[in-house]
Amino acid sequence: MFYWCLSPHLILTNETTDKLQMCSSEVMEQPVQTETWKARSLEELIRILHQIFAEDKVSVEEVQALMESYESNPEEWLQYAKFDQYRYTRNLVDNGNGKFNLMILCWGEGHGSSIHDHTDSHCFMKILQGNLKETLFEWPEKKGNGEMTKKSERVLRENQCAYINDSIGLHRVENISHTEPAVSLHLYSPPFNSCNTFDQRTGHKHKVTMTFYSQFGERTVCATGAPQENN
Amino acid sequence: MLGQAPPPVATTERPWGTWAQAASLLRAQRMTKRDRGKAGRPGPPVRTVALPRGEQRDRGSRGHGQPPPRGDLPCSFRGHRTLPLPPPPTPPLSGPLPAGLSQWFPALEVLDVSGTGLTEMGTELLSLPCLHTLLAKNNRLGGPGSLPKGLGQAPLARSLRVLNLSGNRFSEVPPALLQLRGLRSLSLGGNRLQGIPPDIQELHSLEFLYLGGNFITAIPPELAKLPSLRYLVLCDNKIQSIPPQLAQLHSLRSLSLHNNLLTYLPREILNLVHLDELSLRGNPLVVRFVRDLTYNPPSLQELAGRTVKTRNIPYTPSDLPEGLVRYLSLASNCPNPKCGGVYFDSCVRQIKFVDFCGKYRLPLMHYLCSPECSSPFSSASQSSTSQSESDSEDEASVAAHRMQKVLLG
Repeated sequence: MFYWCLSPHLILTNETTDKLQMCSSEVMEQPVQTETWKARSLEELIRILHQIFAEDKVSVEEVQALMESYESNPEEWLQYAKFDQYRYTRNLVDNGNGKFNLMILCWGEGHGSSIHDHTDSHCFMKILQGNLKETLFEWPEKKGNGEMTKKSERVLRENQCAYINDSIGLHRVENISHTEPAVSLHLYSPPFNSCNTFDQRTGHKHKVTMTFYSQFGERTVCATGAPQENN
Repeated sequence: MLGQAPPPVATTERPWGTWAQAASLLRAQRMTKRDRGKAGRPGPPVRTVALPRGEQRDRGSRGHGQPPPRGDLPCSFRGHRTLPLPPPPTPPLSGPLPAGLSQWFPALEVLDVSGTGLTEMGTELLSLPCLHTLLAKNNRLGGPGSLPKGLGQAPLARSLRVLNLSGNRFSEVPPALLQLRGLRSLSLGGNRLQGIPPDIQELHSLEFLYLGGNFITAIPPELAKLPSLRYLVLCDNKIQSIPPQLAQLHSLRSLSLHNNLLTYLPREILNLVHLDELSLRGNPLVVRFVRDLTYNPPSLQELAGRTVKTRNIPYTPSDLPEGLVRYLSLASNCPNPKCGGVYFDSCVRQIKFVDFCGKYRLPLMHYLCSPECSSPFSSASQSSTSQSESDSEDEASVAAHRMQKVLLG
């Protein structure tokens, strides 16, 4: 069972592989009681998330199950679903008292992300509408100069919730439909605003800053500056 | 997002019943208002109509009623902006658009007939005077007569701005479509297109063109004649090369080419100064230096032509046969700024890599007038393949300013 502690340093322990990710020496020993939640609305989902994240320890399975339990109702999230013609958008819904970021991503037909990591954070991705294809990649070698290795791929359907973190690998997410837009709900903990993107052909990585297309339903106008990646 | 009526997420429209059902409900509403003594003042006209979507495709009962005779209507339907929409107990429409569409909704601006099993859109379209958005995705359109004849003369030809025909069965762009001169956004994603007609240039107002998910093998250079094109999607096709003329699309901001059969790009692509997004993943882009070894030596005609051009030998049309005059006018300049030479048919193709932003290496195709002509990207003479590793820094830094993002992988 995955669980982590919301201390300043993110701990990640995987009981099956025993890989300790970060430098802090705190290791979870007592298992967290996993509850079975049912979020009957987006508002309730957010409320329960706040409750879960108020604790010191959070269970990955618990959050994933909670996210999956919410049956997507467009009327509840329409105000956050702002599409852009050229690329996918990130629309902040809730900033979880600093413990997590909850956002809605809107993918037009054919829109996709680059291969990216998650800056040592946990990432949950739930499909609210349409379908998204997730392709997992291995981390490239240190001085990698070859094609990156694809691990697996799958198509996520409505209401499914996927989970990833840096110890699992990297991924690319794309809306492969040429007729339907897609909408997804993402939770990142701890919140982060920069990550690395990777060139599939060479494994070269490049740090990018992420921005929000809108926050709490209001369109954010960003000043044009350095190239920015919506991730 | 292309061709979506607001709101962009399509599932909130309450589903329709049959036309007859909707009409009778409207009539009932009108009656009620009358009974209450309210003046039956027509409200704003009906702007948006969406037909029920459904999984059933079989040709069941048409389901759409004939419009009632004029005398039967308590008053015209102009009086409604939003229609009360009963849930659909009946199967969706299939076949042509319901008759009397323009009679019932003369002020219609947005029509969404997506997912209704349509096989053709008939003459009903021709009498809609102010339709600006037509969404007909996920239907069975594509056969002859999918679009009505006379489209070019209809008000639609000037009024229609957005057309979404994605998820249908078009194997070619219907010629009638090219008469929609006012079109700004066109989607034919997820069809069966084998190519793009050169007459696509007729749609001179086009800003968004989505052709992803077809079987397109080549791009006609005429596509570059669309001066307002900002968003071009050609992903998930079978395209093997990009014509260099595409660099003339000065307004282009986003170009999607992923999942095709491209091995290189024309170097002219660096001229697209406003290009913010370029997706190239899923192409068999060459990763090593490649020189075209099949260099055919120039013909005598070509050598003579080159001499005429490079030495500025004067000639007038009366000096030469017409064919040769025409031939001389087709001279291309060698891209090497130090060369100044020209070529006609015989040139060397080289693939050079341009390092972009220190991140990506784009394989770009260069044409040189001869193997002896030094590459534009090397000051020294041609040496071995190791030269490919150190490409022009100047070109790369220029490219870095021009392209904000290259989604290569």
